[in-house]
Amino acid sequence: MTEVKPEDVEALVEIFDQSDWSELRIASSNFQLYLSKDAAQRDRHRVAVSTPAAPSMSPQRAAGSLSVQHTTAASTHAAAPADAAIPDGMQAVRAPSLGTFYLAPKPGAAPFVTVGQRVEPETEICIIEVMKLFTAVRAGVRGIVRRILVADAQMVEFDQPLILIEPAD
Amino acid sequence: MALRRLFVANRGEIALRIVRAAKSLGIQTVLAVSAADRDSLAAREADRAVVIGPAPARASYLNANLLVHAALATACDALHPGYGFLSERAEFAELCETNGIIFVGPTAESIRTVGDKLSARALAKTSNVPMVPGSGMIESAAEAQRIAAEIGYPVVTKASAGGGGRGMMVARTANDLATGFDKSSHEAKEAFGDGTLYLERYVERARHVEVQVLGDGQGGILHFGERDCSMQRRYQKMVEEAPAAILSDAVRSRLHQAAIQLLAPIRYRNAGTVEFLYDMDRDEFYFMEVNARIQVEHPVSEEITGVDLIQLQLAVAAGEPLSLTQDAIHCQGHAIEVRIIAEDPQRNFAPSPGRITKWQAPTGAGVRLDSAMFDGALVPPFYDSMIGKLIVRGEHRADAVERMRQALADFQIEGIATNLPLLRAIVAHPDYLANQIETKWLERLILPTFGNSKGN
Repeated sequence: MTEVKPEDVEALVEIFDQSDWSELRIASSNFQLYLSKDAAQRDRHRVAVSTPAAPSMSPQRAAGSLSVQHTTAASTHAAAPADAAIPDGMQAVRAPSLGTFYLAPKPGAAPFVTVGQRVEPETEICIIEVMKLFTAVRAGVRGIVRRILVADAQMVEFDQPLILIEPAD
Repeated sequence: MALRRLFVANRGEIALRIVRAAKSLGIQTVLAVSAADRDSLAAREADRAVVIGPAPARASYLNANLLVHAALATACDALHPGYGFLSERAEFAELCETNGIIFVGPTAESIRTVGDKLSARALAKTSNVPMVPGSGMIESAAEAQRIAAEIGYPVVTKASAGGGGRGMMVARTANDLATGFDKSSHEAKEAFGDGTLYLERYVERARHVEVQVLGDGQGGILHFGERDCSMQRRYQKMVEEAPAAILSDAVRSRLHQAAIQLLAPIRYRNAGTVEFLYDMDRDEFYFMEVNARIQVEHPVSEEITGVDLIQLQLAVAAGEPLSLTQDAIHCQGHAIEVRIIAEDPQRNFAPSPGRITKWQAPTGAGVRLDSAMFDGALVPPFYDSMIGKLIVRGEHRADAVERMRQALADFQIEGIATNLPLLRAIVAHPDYLANQIETKWLERLILPTFGNSKGN
């Protein structure tokens, strides 16, 4: 996600306010937003607005239903966002080494997994290729695939989060 | 072809040194880091750092496939291996070249030729580079005596089937050889099942001297003077100097020529070092080995010649003709380097990784520090314990030694144990000041007493 502007957040809050949803959770590599109409839930998720770059908004809104966390990469050079925030309740499957990330066993084939799919710990969910050597990456947990963080055929670095899985109870 | 983007496959001070050298040539840098080195100084200064694997070197810096994959994926046109790790693996050089990445080093073939002990000796022989005089297999004490008379005493017997000191005996006279030969042969037979011995000239007092060269890959070889690296512990160099002040001009000149003679026939490309053993009593030198990479101690040669060897490495790797001629390279003054290592000399050189709480390095005219350490830096336990190199330059040796003494006195490192106290003791020792040391001096004279002394 590119730079998140305060107006974007306000717009989301607006939509959320008018919806019948009770919770909204948005996360990307450098941004997290959690909205809830339940005060107790909000307190559980409240985190410090961590950087000056965090969107500023009207005091009324800020004091209201918002809890915003802006995570910035430690430096523009440290390319692997190994410490990027993983949303609560999610488990990240990380790259076992640097390599090229592939979502399908071969070009044109169906992907190993899609968002919303149930997986078992042994389910192969992607492959990492290093100099034509392919290593299958398994889910490691039973749950539902919630987000694929890397585009197909991209280079990933060691320990980089690849796929978010929401563990099943 | 000018290099555009360089992949740096190393860590620590040499990674930083390479990144900076590339930058000053306008070459972009991509640095490979392990998970333990994410926040290294080199990672901060490189245009990009990529985390290739976890901390252990075999899963990161020693994994050739990962490194080449990362270099390709980041569109680098060349790879600098630094020293150690994969820098002298012929297969690594080959892997780079077959994938279209320039290896900043010799060709794989050259690495094989000089890296293998037997083929290196064969090369030295055909190039008329002197080696320690020795013999073939010897049958009897009488034959040994006849050959020893040709080689000249002292001689040492060696087992042809193995090493480790079994079957080794130093003979200073023909009589020694007569009485000890059968015993040595028996010892070799017991140890290796083969009692065959051979003889070599024994060097009683030796200096480790080495010549810095740079080859253009076309047969052109430049030398940048020699270094004296006799201050060693268990074959690990601790103090290095340039020039080797002990050599006469005549021997020095022959030494340089020997290095060029050795490497010109194989059209050596890259910076390299030809190591020799200098026999102080006979005033002769013998070829030992070639290090086909940039070496830790290259800065002392840079300090006396005023060249940047890493930049030259990059230039010849790119196929550029040498912009220098031998006539333009002048050795001036005297330079000394000490290796700062995170080991505790008071505790038998136990490694002392950890957080550096204070790093106050000396500065001033003629003082250079090659290090990637800083206040608050973490010395990880996974790698070599060298954390920096302090280099000084003076008009002559005494001047440089004094400057080093002062610089070491000013150097403050806290949080981890280092060899600074030992280095201070070395440069203050009368033998060192008088340049009367040899390769066993440190282990024989300093270390036995140093370990017992308290504080410093």
